[in-house]
Amino acid sequence: MNSKIPEIKLSEEQTGKWGMVIDQDICTGCQACVAACAMENNLSFVGEVDAGYGRSMHWIRIERFWEGEYPEVKMTPGQPMMCQQCGSAPCEPVCPAFATVHSQAEQLNLQVYNRCVGTRYCANNCPYQVRSFNWRDYVRPEPLPNQLNPDVTVRRMGVMEKCTFCIQRIHKAEDKAKSEGRELTDGEFTTACAQACPANAITFGRIDQPESLVSQLIRKHGHGVKHLEELGTLPSVTYFKGG
Amino acid sequence: MSDQNKPSVQGTAGHHDHGEEHFREKHLLLDPLPRGEMNAMVMESMQTTSWRFWLVFAILSAIVVYGLFYKWGVLILKGQGEAGVMRPDYWGIFLVNTVFWIGISHAGTFISAILRVFKAEFRRPFTRAAELMTTFGLVQAGFSVFMHMGRVWLAYWLFPYANQRMLWPNLHSPLTWDLLAITTYLLSSTMYLFLPLIPDMAMARDRSTGWRKTFYKILALGFRGTEGEWTHLRNAMNIFAFAIIPVMFSVHTIVSWDFAAATRPGWNSTIFGPYFVVGALHSGMGAVVMVLAIVRGTMKHMKYFIRPEHFEAIGKLMLIISMGWAYFFFNDYLVQWYGGDKWTKQLLHFHEAGPLGWMWFAMLVFNVVIPWSVLWNHKWRSSPWLIFFVGLFINVGMWFERYIIIPVSVTINRMPFTWRLYEPAIEIPMSIGTLALFILLYMAASRLVPLIPVWEVQEGQMAHKLTRFGRKTVVTVSELE
Amino acid sequence: MSENFSRRDFLKLAGLGAATTAVLTGCGPASRFVRREPYMQMPEYTYNGLSTYYATTCRECAAGCGLVVRTMQGRAIKTEGNTNHPLNLGKTCARGQATLQGLYNPDRVTDPIQKARGTALGRESGNLLDWDAAIQVAADALGKHKPEEIAFLLGLAPDHLDDLVRELAEATGINPPLRFGALSMFEARATLSRAAENLFGKSGIPYFDIGGAQVVFSFGANFLETWLSPVSYTRGFAQMREALSKRRGTFVQFEPRLSSTGAKADEWIPIRPGTEALVALTIGRLAFELIGGALPRAFSDVDPMQAAAKSGVKLETLQRLAALFAGSPHSLAIPGGPALGLKNGLSVAEAVLALNAIPNNFGKPGGVFFSAPAPGQMESSRAASTREMRDFITKLADGDIKVLFIHGVNPVFELPAEMGFKDALQNVEQVISFATFPDETALEADFILPDHHGLESWGYQQVGTGTAQSVLSGAQPVVSPFYNTRATVDVLLAAAKLAGGAFAQALPYVDEVAFVQHRIAPLMRESGGPFSAPEIGAFSAYFQQHGGWWKKGTDLLPPNPADVLNRDLDQTESEFVGEGEFFLVPFVSPTLAEAGANKPWLQELPDPTTTVMWNTWVEMNPATAHDLHIENEDVVVITSEAGEVEAPVYLYPAIRPDTIAIPFGQGHSSYGRYAAGRGANPADLFGLHFNQAGDLAFAGMKVTVRKTDRKQALSRMESLMGVYGEGLGQEK
Repeated sequence: MNSKIPEIKLSEEQTGKWGMVIDQDICTGCQACVAACAMENNLSFVGEVDAGYGRSMHWIRIERFWEGEYPEVKMTPGQPMMCQQCGSAPCEPVCPAFATVHSQAEQLNLQVYNRCVGTRYCANNCPYQVRSFNWRDYVRPEPLPNQLNPDVTVRRMGVMEKCTFCIQRIHKAEDKAKSEGRELTDGEFTTACAQACPANAITFGRIDQPESLVSQLIRKHGHGVKHLEELGTLPSVTYFKGG
Repeated sequence: MSDQNKPSVQGTAGHHDHGEEHFREKHLLLDPLPRGEMNAMVMESMQTTSWRFWLVFAILSAIVVYGLFYKWGVLILKGQGEAGVMRPDYWGIFLVNTVFWIGISHAGTFISAILRVFKAEFRRPFTRAAELMTTFGLVQAGFSVFMHMGRVWLAYWLFPYANQRMLWPNLHSPLTWDLLAITTYLLSSTMYLFLPLIPDMAMARDRSTGWRKTFYKILALGFRGTEGEWTHLRNAMNIFAFAIIPVMFSVHTIVSWDFAAATRPGWNSTIFGPYFVVGALHSGMGAVVMVLAIVRGTMKHMKYFIRPEHFEAIGKLMLIISMGWAYFFFNDYLVQWYGGDKWTKQLLHFHEAGPLGWMWFAMLVFNVVIPWSVLWNHKWRSSPWLIFFVGLFINVGMWFERYIIIPVSVTINRMPFTWRLYEPAIEIPMSIGTLALFILLYMAASRLVPLIPVWEVQEGQMAHKLTRFGRKTVVTVSELE
Repeated sequence: MSENFSRRDFLKLAGLGAATTAVLTGCGPASRFVRREPYMQMPEYTYNGLSTYYATTCRECAAGCGLVVRTMQGRAIKTEGNTNHPLNLGKTCARGQATLQGLYNPDRVTDPIQKARGTALGRESGNLLDWDAAIQVAADALGKHKPEEIAFLLGLAPDHLDDLVRELAEATGINPPLRFGALSMFEARATLSRAAENLFGKSGIPYFDIGGAQVVFSFGANFLETWLSPVSYTRGFAQMREALSKRRGTFVQFEPRLSSTGAKADEWIPIRPGTEALVALTIGRLAFELIGGALPRAFSDVDPMQAAAKSGVKLETLQRLAALFAGSPHSLAIPGGPALGLKNGLSVAEAVLALNAIPNNFGKPGGVFFSAPAPGQMESSRAASTREMRDFITKLADGDIKVLFIHGVNPVFELPAEMGFKDALQNVEQVISFATFPDETALEADFILPDHHGLESWGYQQVGTGTAQSVLSGAQPVVSPFYNTRATVDVLLAAAKLAGGAFAQALPYVDEVAFVQHRIAPLMRESGGPFSAPEIGAFSAYFQQHGGWWKKGTDLLPPNPADVLNRDLDQTESEFVGEGEFFLVPFVSPTLAEAGANKPWLQELPDPTTTVMWNTWVEMNPATAHDLHIENEDVVVITSEAGEVEAPVYLYPAIRPDTIAIPFGQGHSSYGRYAAGRGANPADLFGLHFNQAGDLAFAGMKVTVRKTDRKQALSRMESLMGVYGEGLGQEK
């Protein structure tokens, strides 16, 4: 065994490698990203009762609020919330079983399903409330399992899960680039949500490269917001409120 | 204890002395009985079971089998969805119960160790009863933690052991600290329970037959009461009494860190450590008086050993602890409120005005108003049944406090889109099952081990003497240890 | 074992062992049917660990977006947008994403079946057929009836099946196929087309270049939800908003209930239902007054003061909006949605379209065009209006039709119950359904000869609107059929052959693929396509590979603006039928649309405005509800002149106090386990009233609301506490 167990970094600042930019001004709240995520990542559907009781498995949800009273009432722009892939994630240190760890290579927050014992501390400590727990073994009647993505683990009861930034796509693209002997370029692939978004409100890419599309967008818009940044979580998702 | 002179009271000739009678009636340590008689009383209380005992025992067993084991099976097979937990209330009653039972377990050690260290004499007849509570409370706390886990069949992954996965538990996680602290506490408190039990086991061994004899023989570890054995035992007990106090403080402090170390509004408070410790003592003392009142009321000869003076003394402690709890609560609330963080303010408002606001007010009434208005009075706090109800209220109030801190507080987080109210489901029968198991274990223990540490009482009685100075009778105490 | 024995050797040996076993067991009876190939010679689409991607067309609605489906070892894994397809440029909506849950739906019709009408699907109630018998049934149906007694009812999409049946009808004299779908009813497509005809002298669905516009006024058009071609219009919206390249466009929505589209508007004008035409004309007049010059005839009659009073929109607001509209050369006004489903829907459409004459944006970027006709698109093949459907139902009820073939549409569910489609079927001797799913209509059929799912089918679809280019979208199977289903085109071809005579002559094609090739062959001679090939085999392969054929440049047609304003436009308010106190706005669920209810993940998608999942709700203004002592999730009964519907109330802050709204999409009585018995169908409320163009006046009703003493919890994504402060103990 020559691989070293990676060290856990508690407070060292990390800028992150992959990031997302979400333009709320053009997000129409159409749920295409939610559906795309569910299809790509083998998310279970939980049924009416559990979904209404806060047990839906959505890895991404679109939040909206109301401002004002009729007739001057406005719906706030749709705000897709998914794992913010924090550089200093509150979910990571609290897991007693090392199931929530920081990937040194991808600089993402990983959820190692088969290490998870289900204490749910990570979800409790996530200020964004974007983790979903497998409260039950949700039934996927035959032949629905035929559509399961073989690149993504099918989770079972008692395990925490969350948005992975479609890490299976990252790895596939990296492997392809490697086999072709070149560097992975920005925009070569994207996450399921960004790929589906009819308004192109979600852009995914390398936030550590100044010439990448996401970095350009952040510079151009100039007033991006990172949610709950004041907690020191160093989120990788930037929102443009727009309007 | 060596076979010294029989505990005696000087000047017992003056039977018409009202002062002396008064002292005897009031104080166990001034009312000695012959040792043999006292031992026989304890043995008899242990061996007597009425049909009522067995009826209650059977009912509780049924509750445990159904509420705890059957329902737990359902929970394991069908998943945590059977409970009321969801986003954002990922933590529910199981953790409320965990904190609650750890709290209960605190008083045992507190009474026993702290009072032993400070040589508070009134402790003598009930240290055992309190220590048993510690151990059995911890058992419930452990059960509750495991009920909470999504994949409890993998719980052993949380223990540090060499494994092919090359993984240690994450020492950054407060849950790992918790696990270590609780395990340490369970082990040390069990040993601390056992040490003073040895002489009583030897006593019981010498006075029983059949399976009981075998049982006590094993547990007595061959104790014969030699001077050397007593010295070693005293030393060990002394060490444990001192050492277990920091362990006790650390356990509940670490439990509080599960919450305080989290980045949640309302939880991230520096005062949670002592606040939780005092809270634990509060509920623990409440539980002790409840147990003592029941034991006194239901078991033979216990009215001799447990007297109003004991309730009176514990009542004073409870009053002080209640004041301490109120102080910490007020401190926590005030500072958080002045902090002005919008989510914390929202949370504090939700505590009082939300759908479970009644619980918040009930908590204050049960934890502060009721103890303060009853326990100040010497007579009232000497009444076993009155103080039993005060203890009951305190325990309900403290359970409410934990309920408010866990499922009610996690309702409010920084993502208002997800706020949702927790509705417990399978937790309720399982909680009742845990409570039943606690009582069941206690009932079983009450018939297997002497609930009264006879030798400690006798030691105390030997040390206390009534002496007459002129017309006055005064108590003198000789230093034993 | 020696030290040199490597892992590689071990694998070789292990492989040999496995091969030996295979040889031994290969002698069994199955060996005659299975050709064993070494792993190294797998067909390309079953390589372990590698995906194969197929381009096809999305069949979840009639827009015709291009899909690329990722498959792996013969299974469809994920639908993605076809980045080259001009309509959607690689994007999909939620329904397109969930199409796999239709393909692998646990409640598909698996075999051809003969069954008693009105019974649920099951082995007891039906008699499974083999395909030979099934085709004989279809052949008998064709051959043993007079041509005029045979009718086809098809879905909304103008696809190759429509073309085939049309060919058959032309050659044999059977009734030409009728195309219909709930979306065409709720979008009032016939009205839009007629308005264009009246204004520009030519019918057709207009195309609105939202992406190029600077100011967009939409009168009820829900173009970010299900309207016409939502993915491409959403792209247009994003371009309009794109603040990086130009000034951010302004968007104003006029509608009584804030739709998911309206929620993206900078300003929502909750006009009184029925005054849409009046408001549009008033804005026209005020805008012209600002510009100066002679007031055109179209706008000259309106009185702004009166219009303000009637519509409930302040005069200053109207003036401000008029100035906004007149202030940009790239203003665009779009009519659509429930606004056209009024009794004066045609007047609304005309009035709103006429507004576009102010910047005179006809045929200009950011303006109004006629949609680019798809290759081979026939004017005659437009979808039926609801009135035409009623006439058709009358024919059914009169017994004029002896055989009815139904494919791709579920009229028992989608048409208003009042229209009596189900009852009319009693007078049809034989009903043959080609349904993929056991929907309500299929259960009323005598035979179900199930078609493949869209992802298992060959074909093409004309893209009617939504893109500047002329597009014929291609479809091919991405997986082999999962069940014992058969392509309807193949069934018809075989049946026609069996029926003989004119039928056999009319359809001389070997199979579906041959027919598709026959139809796309003319494109080989067209220039400007994305590929070319000298012979049809290669051309057809390219066609499937690219996902269709489209011309490179724009094919949008400019409308003739000459006469637009030089006419009288009707400004009278719409009449409403019914006695109730509430205007009813039925709208198509943005996530489910008309046929999504059987896909569990679509059910679990929160509605964009209310975040409700898995059910139907009634939107009501909180102030109104307070007056009526109605609380959130109280079940109410809505009564119209035609019927009753029960659903729980959602206190919706963005709806007029005199209006209630209810989504369409749920309320199935069958259609699989995820759809059946869930929610309510507002179509039960619709009376038979039509607008001037023959579309159903589904939004032209007044209804009463009665509270019941029941409550029904709605499954919401949002938090009632966090979003509405309910239960937080705060003063409201």
